[in-house]
Amino acid sequence: MRYADFTPYDLVLLAQGLGVTLGLFAATTLIGLALGAALTVLHYYRVPVIGHVVVAVTELLKNSPVLVQLFLVFFGMPAFFQVNMTPVTAALLTVSLNTAAFAFVIFRSGVEAVDRDQIEAARVFGHSRWQILRRIISPQAAAFSVGPLIGLLVNQLQVTSLISVIGVADLTKIGNILNLRTLEPFVVWSVIGLTYYLCAKALAALGGRLERHLRRSVVWQGL
Amino acid sequence: MIEINNVEKRFGSAEVLKRINLKVEPGEVVTILGSSGSGKSTLIRCINGLETLSGGAIRVDGNDVSTAAGLAAARRRSATVFQLFNLYPHMTVLQNVTLAPIHVLGQPRAEAETRARALLDLVGLTAQADAYPQRLSGGQRQRVGICRALAMQPRYLLLDEVTSALDPEMTGEVLDILARLAAEGTTMVFVTHEIEFARRISDRIVFLEAGELIVDMPAEAFFSEEGGLAVPRIRKFLSKMTKD
Repeated sequence: MRYADFTPYDLVLLAQGLGVTLGLFAATTLIGLALGAALTVLHYYRVPVIGHVVVAVTELLKNSPVLVQLFLVFFGMPAFFQVNMTPVTAALLTVSLNTAAFAFVIFRSGVEAVDRDQIEAARVFGHSRWQILRRIISPQAAAFSVGPLIGLLVNQLQVTSLISVIGVADLTKIGNILNLRTLEPFVVWSVIGLTYYLCAKALAALGGRLERHLRRSVVWQGL
Repeated sequence: MIEINNVEKRFGSAEVLKRINLKVEPGEVVTILGSSGSGKSTLIRCINGLETLSGGAIRVDGNDVSTAAGLAAARRRSATVFQLFNLYPHMTVLQNVTLAPIHVLGQPRAEAETRARALLDLVGLTAQADAYPQRLSGGQRQRVGICRALAMQPRYLLLDEVTSALDPEMTGEVLDILARLAAEGTTMVFVTHEIEFARRISDRIVFLEAGELIVDMPAEAFFSEEGGLAVPRIRKFLSKMTKD
């Protein structure tokens, strides 16, 4: 067995891993939030049957381990449906659906938090159901949702580390590789951990700014 | 004309409105009085289509509110001011007032804003156009509520206990504006507990008791010994309401 010291090239490797992690996180966030929002709209229009199916599926996704979902998609689906599944596709699919399930719950409670009286006012003034969703409910639901959503996304960023298990070369996988080569687990995992930490902090800071912008109409009046 | 014919409303087994008949002609101010729970607000909510009727019919200028097309037409002819204002908190005062004119009536934004600013001037809120509702006092919020309704250029103004959530000073601000609108000939259906004010501005007074319309008479008659005061229930109601 050959052991080797850290080299400057390891930084490039680290950057590549970080790129994969952030790319996957960004893609699954976009897909997940879009899907979660679409499901919320379906729920808002009380589409029969579909509403119940959506709730059932999201309950399954929320209440089972992401790692198990990942194994089901990566190993189970190709075996059962005879389809090809690359690690990246499996990772995208699993994390997107998982984000969508939680985002759906957050958006739905955001919609439910909007005061019914205003919606009655909008109906009386002749606004259509779509206009009410678009102009009255969505902006307020977004403001209510952004706090919990940032919490969710910070968590989903950590969850992406699970995809290293099926062979996606993300930040954690790079950590694994460096660790096996250098046998310096303390240094490697400290650096990897700190990198996740900094990304999460940056995400939370961005989210905080967005939240302040969306809630600008709300005056903090003290307790 | 608003025509209310044999209107019934039930919530489960509770009969909230029992065969109500009422006509409101253009230019009239009709005040609906009655104790809490007598069905006054429900009647307003039936006129603007927030409640579906259990029986009877309501027509606003001939448009039956129980059909989708009729309700849409009726809603364009009337506008409601609410007890708890029901403003959109995420929009500025100006946005609150222009939302329906732009998106329901299809007015160009610039035109809607010019009209809205003129209305806000009228009620003394020129400086608050770009403030959010949370920054305003209750009386100011209700004045925005009135502007939002007037911006729709309604033929009929439905007012549902619009001063019940306000203190006496703010109540005064709002009533002054309503008195001015009444004097200008605005048609109003006015649910209120402000007896003295109702007496001053109303053409007719209607009294609801446990979902029944027991009296419908001109305002002077309602407050006269041989008219409304001859009805024991109304005498009792008025003495209670004017005592405190």
